[in-house]
Amino acid sequence: MDDLYIDNIDEFVYDQNKIVTYKWLSLTLGVHVNQAKQMLYHYLEKKRKECSASQLHATYLVSGKFQQNGNTCHKVTVVREDQLEDTKSKLIVTASIHVYSIQKAALKDSSPLFSTDYDIIKENLDNCSKYSAIRCAIATPRTSEEISRLQSLAHVTTPVSDGQAVTSKPSINGDMSATKPVSQQAKGIVGLFASKTTSKSKETSKEVKTESKENSATAAVADKPVNKTKVPNNFFGKAATSKSKSSAQDEGKLIKEETNSQASLSKEVEKQSSNSVVKPAPDIKEELPKNSEVPPKKTKENKIKTKRLEHSDSENEKSESQKKKRRRIKKPQPESSDEEVIPDSPPSSSAKTSLASPHKEVKKEPANSTENTSNVRRRKKRKVLKSRTSRDEEGCIVTEKVYESESYSESEDDFSKSNKTQPTKSTASVKTVTGKKDDEKKGHKKSPASSNKGSKQASIMGFFQKK
Amino acid sequence: MFSDISSLRGLTLLSMPATEGPVFTREISSSFVNQSDRYKSSDRTFNRQYAHIYATRLIQMRPILTERAQQKWGHSVPVRRLCDIQMGEQCCIVGTIFKYMELQPSILREISEEHNLLPQPPRAKYIGQSDELILEDELQRIKLEGAIDVQKFFTGSVIVVFGSEKNDGKFMVEDYCTADLPPQRNRPDLCKDSFVLMVSGLGLGGGDADSLMGLQLLVDMVTGQLGDEGEQNGAAKISHVVLAGNLLSHNTQGKESLGKAKYLTKKTQAGSVEAVRMLDEILVQLAASVPVSVMPGQFDPTNYTLPQQPLHRCMFPLSSVYPTLHLVSNPFQADFDGLRLLGTSGQNMSDIYKYSNMKDYLDILESTLRLSHLAPTAPDTLGCYPFYNKDPFILEECPYIYFCGNAPTFQSKLITGADGQEVLLVAVPEFCKTQTACLINLRTLECEPIRFSAFSTEDEEGEMDISH
Repeated sequence: MDDLYIDNIDEFVYDQNKIVTYKWLSLTLGVHVNQAKQMLYHYLEKKRKECSASQLHATYLVSGKFQQNGNTCHKVTVVREDQLEDTKSKLIVTASIHVYSIQKAALKDSSPLFSTDYDIIKENLDNCSKYSAIRCAIATPRTSEEISRLQSLAHVTTPVSDGQAVTSKPSINGDMSATKPVSQQAKGIVGLFASKTTSKSKETSKEVKTESKENSATAAVADKPVNKTKVPNNFFGKAATSKSKSSAQDEGKLIKEETNSQASLSKEVEKQSSNSVVKPAPDIKEELPKNSEVPPKKTKENKIKTKRLEHSDSENEKSESQKKKRRRIKKPQPESSDEEVIPDSPPSSSAKTSLASPHKEVKKEPANSTENTSNVRRRKKRKVLKSRTSRDEEGCIVTEKVYESESYSESEDDFSKSNKTQPTKSTASVKTVTGKKDDEKKGHKKSPASSNKGSKQASIMGFFQKK
Repeated sequence: MFSDISSLRGLTLLSMPATEGPVFTREISSSFVNQSDRYKSSDRTFNRQYAHIYATRLIQMRPILTERAQQKWGHSVPVRRLCDIQMGEQCCIVGTIFKYMELQPSILREISEEHNLLPQPPRAKYIGQSDELILEDELQRIKLEGAIDVQKFFTGSVIVVFGSEKNDGKFMVEDYCTADLPPQRNRPDLCKDSFVLMVSGLGLGGGDADSLMGLQLLVDMVTGQLGDEGEQNGAAKISHVVLAGNLLSHNTQGKESLGKAKYLTKKTQAGSVEAVRMLDEILVQLAASVPVSVMPGQFDPTNYTLPQQPLHRCMFPLSSVYPTLHLVSNPFQADFDGLRLLGTSGQNMSDIYKYSNMKDYLDILESTLRLSHLAPTAPDTLGCYPFYNKDPFILEECPYIYFCGNAPTFQSKLITGADGQEVLLVAVPEFCKTQTACLINLRTLECEPIRFSAFSTEDEEGEMDISH
């Protein structure tokens, strides 16, 4: 074989001042590891012959049978050149000696060796055994079809077992999510590359739980097949499924979903209870997996009411993918906390209410119902702090701040700010209230949409509401 | 032995490059069957009391012990229930041991305000001079005295004692007997040498760089990159690798992060994330070359109670595409070509270590084997799932290889049972501390340690304690 490698090694060692280990050389030059070891030896010999005062330092690997205190063991060790003879003499039988690395500077400890190998392996993770001396026939990566097949098998088996478990207990939100640290499935990562249609069933626990919650939900909740709508979060870019899990988890709430005329995905719920510890997915930092998942997911019946406040988790700010679906009450008038489980005070809701709550209104105009996949308008319902005026028994107009649910559409955010009320006094007969009162009445129709943040601040615009 | 096999071929690498490097094919164990289904959790209802475990344990072990008792002391000796024994009559009773220890931490005492006690600091051993043994069965309990060594036993072991009840209501023991080894299948005849490599306590994320180099050497050796032809040939005979727990270091479970409220740790990444990433990279190198079984341990991201469920494969995106990666439960049971292997990541053994006077992990291994129970101290001092129908830790078939991970030092021993069973006991040491792994030859049931080191000159200061 030609001696080009000598020049290569020369260049690596002297010019680039690298530590050339046999593994690094083998992966860089694309040769068998044993050849790489021999190349290093050849180079070392050559250089030693040429200039005896060379600055080259070498480390060797010595392995063999070693005896100590009457016990034998197999010892594998990397030694510096000066320790080579010493170590060799201690071994009863020497199994192998070869050059481990060559470098210009003398090494004090083994961490540079390790980091060299670590770096080169990281670059070549998918073919790290290509140049090794052992081939294993069964160690070939699975194809994506096999993976999806395995996942669907697992999906089929788990709902059965989980169903019994969950229905037997009163489901506690925190409990369930805690016990399912692995609810996010590999399919999340695999699903990123090949959109899988099977949804993993760890969420089945969630599902079942949600179903049980469903049953216990208020009677007002109509049991319609619900689908999740796509979240209008497309403008945040592609979302990794793993992120969806995290974000769903962030929300920490079970989500109520509503019917959608189109097929929708159901993964949100599943993802919810996932644990952020298991997030090895290489740095896909986007959110909103839901978008990517919409097509392949099956529909599920999910109506979940959630009481839990958001769990903090790392990507909380960008938790657009949380879908808070609120149940739209048939009655037009806003009740206080009865139907709305989450006392979603506008300031705290921040990003959550923002894009993430597709909301279907029963009495909505048909136009809205076709907006499923658009990300422009969403009917949402929120709990808003409003002032209500009423007449006292003494005849005074009393203004009270009250939480009311109000529906708003995202696009109409211009006139939204008015709903944040100032604290009122009981005897105040402020006329400003009247403007807001109008708002309430419109609340169920196309009310002035709130801003994306959902926080309403009193502004002069309140006087110029849409009538 | 591995080192002998590795030295069969001559040294070739201190020479000019050859034209072609040798390629060896990995010996694959033709049938690796994971038999750990009994440790997989089916449902997860924690509504039940833990007392059911003891009840079912006793019910399952009573027939075995009765038979042993009759074998040992003859059929004429009656085997009675505690409620039926009469004073002065020699009989056998079967029951569960309860060891009363003064020093055993009791949560009730800790939180009780009337004593105003500070919580007890953790100790290495909780045994004391005044400990007592009490035998319990389904209905009653009785204190034991006599020819029974209090410190050898621990809570949860089911035994049969022979003796008589005295006037003061205590039972005077003349002899006792344990269930001994369960029946064992016939040993299959393997024609070729086939090795299983066992490592435990990798301790990733612990910030210890030395053990990382050793780990890299281990991976290189197993995948056939390290060493000369002889060694590579030997490494090709390794048909399976078992990682027995504590893949992550206990540093990843920092107390601060565990104790803090979730909203405070919002933006911080858990310590284990980086460590799991490193583990995935190591596993992908291994899985590309050899079948690997990964068991979770005390500090790994899985549930705390025994049986620990397998780590989830979503944590290993790079390596889980390989079919050679097996994520298994703790305890782990498998058949290699018909040879049964059983072991844990060490939590049960270290728990028994705390509550008995045995110092040697091999002794503890042997005593659990002779008691025919994997984790007798569960659920008393070792967390476990509230089983109801059956106790999956009872050994029904005797393994050929019985191991525990995360032992302080490497030890191995071959023991034999009353009916001719033979078992190789292996205490796998922590790799992050000792840089030692174990190679077990399936054909001869021999175990050899392998030590890895880098740049250490005088490191053989009696760290190893190998007893054969």
